[in-house]
Amino acid sequence: MSSNDSFIQISPSEFFYKNRDLAGFSNPSRSLYTAVREFVENALDACDQHGILPDVHLTIKAVEPEKPDPKPYILTVKDNGPGIDSKYVPLAFGTVLYGSKFGLKQARGMFGLGATMAILYGQITTNKPVTVKSSTDGKTQDEYELLLDIQKNKPVILKHETKEISKTGLSVSICLEGDYSKAGAKIRDYVYQTSLITPYATVTFDDPKGEKFRYTKIVRTMPPAPTILNPHPYGVDVETIKRMVEDSKFSIPTVDNKTIEKVRTELGLKKKDLNYSEIMSRAKKRWSSLSRYVRVVIAVMSFLKMDFDKLSKIRIDDLDISSEKISYWDFGESKSFTIDMDPESDYYRQLTNTTQGEMLVIFLTKRFQRVGRTTAEKFAEFAGFKPEKRIGTMTNQELVKLSDALQKFPTFLSPDPKCLAPLGAEPLEKGMKAFFNPDFISVVQRGASAYSGFPFVVEMGIAYGGEIPSGGTKVYRFANRIPLLYDEGSDVVLKVVNETDWARYKIKGDPPLVIVSHICSTKIPYKTVGKENVADRPEIERELRLALQFLSRKLASYMSKRGQAEMEKKRANLYLKYIPLVAQFCTELSGKKKEPDYKKILKEAVPVETKI
Amino acid sequence: MKQKSKKSTKKSTEERRRTLVELLKNKGTEIYEELDKGNFPSFSVPSRSVSNIVYDKQLRQYILGSNVSLRSSRNMSQLRSFTQLMWLAFFANRLVNEKKSSTLRDIYYSSQAFEVDFEDQPESDNIIVDLEAVLRRPREDLHIFPEERSSVFGDLVIEYTVPGYEGKRSNLSDHPDGYLIGPSLSSAELVETSAELVIAIEKGGLFTRFVEEKVHKKFKAIIVDTAGQAPRSTRNLLRRLHDEMGLPVVILTDGDVYGEHIAMVIKSGSANAAHLRELTVPDAKWLGVWASDIEKYKLPTIPMTESDIKRINDLLKDPRYQEGNWKKQLEIFKKIKRKAELEAFSKYGLTHITDKYLPEKLELAKSL
Repeated sequence: MSSNDSFIQISPSEFFYKNRDLAGFSNPSRSLYTAVREFVENALDACDQHGILPDVHLTIKAVEPEKPDPKPYILTVKDNGPGIDSKYVPLAFGTVLYGSKFGLKQARGMFGLGATMAILYGQITTNKPVTVKSSTDGKTQDEYELLLDIQKNKPVILKHETKEISKTGLSVSICLEGDYSKAGAKIRDYVYQTSLITPYATVTFDDPKGEKFRYTKIVRTMPPAPTILNPHPYGVDVETIKRMVEDSKFSIPTVDNKTIEKVRTELGLKKKDLNYSEIMSRAKKRWSSLSRYVRVVIAVMSFLKMDFDKLSKIRIDDLDISSEKISYWDFGESKSFTIDMDPESDYYRQLTNTTQGEMLVIFLTKRFQRVGRTTAEKFAEFAGFKPEKRIGTMTNQELVKLSDALQKFPTFLSPDPKCLAPLGAEPLEKGMKAFFNPDFISVVQRGASAYSGFPFVVEMGIAYGGEIPSGGTKVYRFANRIPLLYDEGSDVVLKVVNETDWARYKIKGDPPLVIVSHICSTKIPYKTVGKENVADRPEIERELRLALQFLSRKLASYMSKRGQAEMEKKRANLYLKYIPLVAQFCTELSGKKKEPDYKKILKEAVPVETKI
Repeated sequence: MKQKSKKSTKKSTEERRRTLVELLKNKGTEIYEELDKGNFPSFSVPSRSVSNIVYDKQLRQYILGSNVSLRSSRNMSQLRSFTQLMWLAFFANRLVNEKKSSTLRDIYYSSQAFEVDFEDQPESDNIIVDLEAVLRRPREDLHIFPEERSSVFGDLVIEYTVPGYEGKRSNLSDHPDGYLIGPSLSSAELVETSAELVIAIEKGGLFTRFVEEKVHKKFKAIIVDTAGQAPRSTRNLLRRLHDEMGLPVVILTDGDVYGEHIAMVIKSGSANAAHLRELTVPDAKWLGVWASDIEKYKLPTIPMTESDIKRINDLLKDPRYQEGNWKKQLEIFKKIKRKAELEAFSKYGLTHITDKYLPEKLELAKSL
């Protein structure tokens, strides 16, 4: 590399613009489908998170219907969610990487990136702005027209209007180059299957050909929302640990009114003002009862030599333990000061400990899920660390050793599934009933399990007969409430279904059978970037297999009962048909006028419920 | 002129009809009462399986053994055939009472009007045989006849009993083509005859020749065309001619194993009709063509097929072929492996069979 080469920093917008294939915007057909998915999923996620039963309306209209595909389409997705605060709208829809979906819990999309990508794609292909209408209070609605400045990664507001409205919600409308003749079937499938796995939502779709698809909600209760949890030891790598260690170091207290209030409370000086030395001696007396947070503030105060009143007039800018200096900004004098700390002081040691981070055992119990004191101590022994080892003092090598040990320690409890949001057996059953109207249905929700530290739950339903057409087993696959539509061949669910010996369960030929499989996890192990098939992790495969076996046994018992009932009915029909004939014939043969009373034997031969 | 013996212990047509009607009524009443009591009615049907067919030396025919199977309306797999049997009894009762005739095929089609469904005609044929076995009466008594017809010719006066012809008489020599042995002839009373002999012949062609050659006059014979294996109505007529009119019966067949067996079935019945009596003529005599005649009369022959040989071996195991001429002829057939048709006599002239062969054989028959 010559010294003339210059490094150019590109904005995230530019990066995505150059790599839009990665995000699913490679051609007009795929892009239309991806855009639909991104907006619909965002709408559903927003409603889910706020406990609102979603009403999502999708419209695709051709700008010039007569033109052949590919051509510009207007894609609008409207929901009844919480809306987005007016001041965030330009940032949320006019920049890349502005999202609200961080943290360990299950959600459909990850960071809300896809929607911005769709907007970006629309802008690139049609040079039209995105129209966003949002209302958070159900009274006023803000309408924006935005363009994205790709180089600067900044929104350009073309129009902003406010008007009165009666409902909360968000409506996003973009114009993009698409190919509905190719993508239509896929989009319709997507809408259909999405409403199957979201029976608590109403989803409608008005397609460019004038067809209207309506899926109204089947249940009116929402599955419980997932909670955000600490990571599980199995699920973290060295980089994550490093970030967590940084976090564990006690941060410099912001000395604001709230902090001062807290210190005063713990020292019992809520109403009383003392001078600096009085405060210090009082603190010394009460030291053992003080919280760590307050101890740190007192330590800082000991070097600043300030009382509460003075303290409230400064802002601490830096606290450098290694060079023993504290810098602060004095509001009163509008000036920056730096003072030295005495390294021999007990207060200095207090600050040192703090910056060395938590002890290993504390670090483990506090920052990971499902790790208790005993487990943490056992782990320390297993990993070859002292339990009280300060996490902040670990070298890079030690951190790698810690990370390896976390992966290998055999007795961590399995991950907590509270961060997952399965649909639940009952709504799944109701949804399947409404969609397929089968003769038989059974659903199961397996207990939570984990693969490589990521918790997952498998839900499955099986439906047979009724309005389901014959022609073989149809499998609907879902992951985190998203339908997986294509690339079935290599999917783990399909593998498990295909390896089932159906004859064992009294299922033959091309049965009218539907299987719905839903895998929920904080991280779905997709096989490909396309996110259409799930890899065959042994833990997931096992859960799927157990779920399917459970359901198949139920189906088999239904099938054998059905067989018996059919036999019984056939039997009853035989008697009902022939005994009256026998009676008729023997009456004439014997020369009698009245038929014999054969009701008695019919009563015996025909069970009551089969009598027609 | 022979007249029917008044002392005949054999039931007259009217008598047979009366007892049958009574039998049907009794069966119907049985079933009616079971139903009325709340029981599932059933029929005892003599088993017609091979293991239950035995040869009765005294009766000189095959009969059914003592095995019976119960056909119950309680049993799901028997309910349908029970109902079919019941319907057939009901339908036969109408036929007999109204003096109407039906055929095997007609029965099959008639069932459809009563919601009694037969899969196919063999199924209904089979139920008819079941009813015969239950009632121990041939289907002709039930006014059910096969489609195939054989013929009779000769000086025999009959008196019809079928509706519209009651009391009307016919002489069976009035029409040179002969008379079809159909329902009305089968149910007619045999009144009188000048004949002294019945000649049953296997083939229609020779039957016509015999009429042309006036065999009926020359030999004072009634000629019956069996048209191959004699149908039951024909066998029944032969028996009645023998029993009621006291006429000896002789049989002429092709010179092969099938011909020999046609004669045997007329004489001692078939396994298929083991449940029935009154279809056999134990005194009937097989005139030929014997295996030994082939050599004796230098008849042109054709070689036997493999199935002919197989048939010989099968019949050699039959108890009726264990002695006398029956056994002897089979063994000769087996030895020469050749067969001759009745028509083979044409080699020596069209009338050779009536002029030469028949008289010689009839003479010989007297000593059999």
